Amino acid sequence: MKALFLLQWQRLKREPLLIGSMMVMTIVFVLAMGGFRVSSAVSVPTYFDASVQNQKAWLERLNEATEGFEFFATEENRSKEDIALGKYPYALQVMEDDFRIFMLAEDENLQVLKQVVAQTYLKEKRVSTAAAQVDEPEQFRKQVKEYLSEPPIIVSKVTPGPLEGAPSYNQKLQTLYGMSLFFAMYTIIFSLSKIAEEKRTGTLNRIILSPIRKWQVYIGHMSYSYVIGFTQIVLIVLMFKYIFGYNVGEQMGAVILTIASFVFAVVAIGMLILGLIKSTDQLNAVVPIVTVSMAMLGGAFWPIEIVSNDIILAISNVVPMTYAMEALKAVSMFGQGLADIYEPLAILVLIGVLCMGVGVNLIERKA
Amino acid sequence: MLETVNLKKVFKQNVAADDVNLYLDQGESVGLLGPNGAGKSTTISMISTLLRPTSGDVKWHGKSVIKNPNEIRDVLGVVPQEIALYKELSALENLKFFGKIYGLKGKQLDKKIQEVLEIVGLTERQKDLVKTYSGGMKRRINIAVALLHEPVIIIMDEPTVGIDPQSRNYILEMVRQLKEEKGMTVLYTSHYMEEVERLCDRIYIMDHGKVIATGTKEELTSILSSEETIIVDFDRPYPNLVNKLEKNESILQVTETDNGIKLIVPKGSRQLGTIFNLAEKEEAQITSINVQVPTLEDVFLHLTGRKLRD
Repeated sequence: MKALFLLQWQRLKREPLLIGSMMVMTIVFVLAMGGFRVSSAVSVPTYFDASVQNQKAWLERLNEATEGFEFFATEENRSKEDIALGKYPYALQVMEDDFRIFMLAEDENLQVLKQVVAQTYLKEKRVSTAAAQVDEPEQFRKQVKEYLSEPPIIVSKVTPGPLEGAPSYNQKLQTLYGMSLFFAMYTIIFSLSKIAEEKRTGTLNRIILSPIRKWQVYIGHMSYSYVIGFTQIVLIVLMFKYIFGYNVGEQMGAVILTIASFVFAVVAIGMLILGLIKSTDQLNAVVPIVTVSMAMLGGAFWPIEIVSNDIILAISNVVPMTYAMEALKAVSMFGQGLADIYEPLAILVLIGVLCMGVGVNLIERKA
Repeated sequence: MLETVNLKKVFKQNVAADDVNLYLDQGESVGLLGPNGAGKSTTISMISTLLRPTSGDVKWHGKSVIKNPNEIRDVLGVVPQEIALYKELSALENLKFFGKIYGLKGKQLDKKIQEVLEIVGLTERQKDLVKTYSGGMKRRINIAVALLHEPVIIIMDEPTVGIDPQSRNYILEMVRQLKEEKGMTVLYTSHYMEEVERLCDRIYIMDHGKVIATGTKEELTSILSSEETIIVDFDRPYPNLVNKLEKNESILQVTETDNGIKLIVPKGSRQLGTIFNLAEKEEAQITSINVQVPTLEDVFLHLTGRKLRD
């Protein structure tokens, strides 16, 4: 069994492309879909009339006024062209005492944009009118800005939700966990497919004829697939925690236990698939369908919470991805502990035990 | 030492092996000859305990191996028809792995590996990856793996398929040495009658899952002892001549070959005159003529009406 386990690592060393590509793909997708997106603000190309003084200061004022929009300077023709091509939803023309918004279509953000720009104009008008009354207008502006940075009254909003000190729901962690689990499913099932490959090439028969027992053959393959899948997910999570600064929460033990349970369930599903398919060609066709479906239904690509369709929600109840994402998000985003996630973990183990039993049985029947 | 008793395997509706009875004695080399699909591989899969028979039994020293497969597995070396190796690993790494699963380790394993590499003549290339080997070299390593644990019986399933004549000769010579110098018992399956003729003390001829003849080469060819084979080559095909020969009642069988015809005639029936006369009438130009003693191929043709490679 140990020889079989070590053999798989030796084979991986010689042909690391498949597993390596799964790790690289995970990193690329997490960075592309979660890591590099610093702002979800709507970009607004902005151009100025010749009469407008200090255009840079205007841009700063507009950008300081809101985080929802990102104003950037451009040419008039260029901005209109971009609107016509649908590249941006709005463009802003800044005039001396007025503004104009160009748009492709009226949508829900338009009123917010109008309000933000109008407020900025109003505020600037007040400050500039007051500044005109003093000897040193620049000094006055500076004093106003300093005063407003620590205003006498602060209105704060509190919404019930995350526990104190715990990170709140964020897209970065959703993407990190979703992509890590999704690509690990490929790694695990394709690693297990070595059993089918060994059957095809005849090496499995050679092993069966040796003093090694059949169950040892399965354990050897499953333990390798388990370790490689588990290592892949843990490495990715640690990489994003320590290198890219993702806050996965304080309960690293619970995160690792969830990953361990999920990998067990996927190894078992892999065995079930191997029991059902008849050739490696069939396996290559089935694996993408199964993994992508499970990822979509289980909330790896988007939060399952936004899904309202009862049928999809019902199907998601038998997909291990659902429970793994639920547990990981509970631990990392909402600061929950092991005691809170025992149910999804127990379901993952249960799915694993059931699929493993049926899968090994089916493989044995075909042998 | 090893025998099969009414061995039968049915796959759904297809009877792959039907009442196969054969035996192997210590140190002898037995051939299983038959065309593709004759049931040879199914039979040896059942003997090697990889396939459970539908009925019948395989006995090793009188004990059933169906119930206790481990009894025979330890003494059995199987060379499968396919290259059952990890091609991304070197020959040495493959041998190390298969040696380890047979419980060999340390110096004993290293010594045994070098010994089998010596036998198959690949000591120099042991560190090369199997995927870089030629077809013949892969076949040799395939055999080496089966020899690692010093089996008493070696079962070889078409070990020379798809390789060049030189590698084939090397393998055949190797098998002969294993039998003669190491005293190994060999069960050799092939559809190449010349290989079986060259290597085997006794031969079982199989067709459609059944053993249709058995004996030494001499015993089998004696089935046709009252006949002789005449091979006539022509400069081109002469269909009329073939038709006339087929109608001749004193000629037992006429088969067209690539360059002419093959006739089976009663021994001493002096048919050469008839052939020359007919050829002259048809203005057929004979390029060669050869009178042969019967081969296993002829025996198979005689028994089944088909060629071994049909």
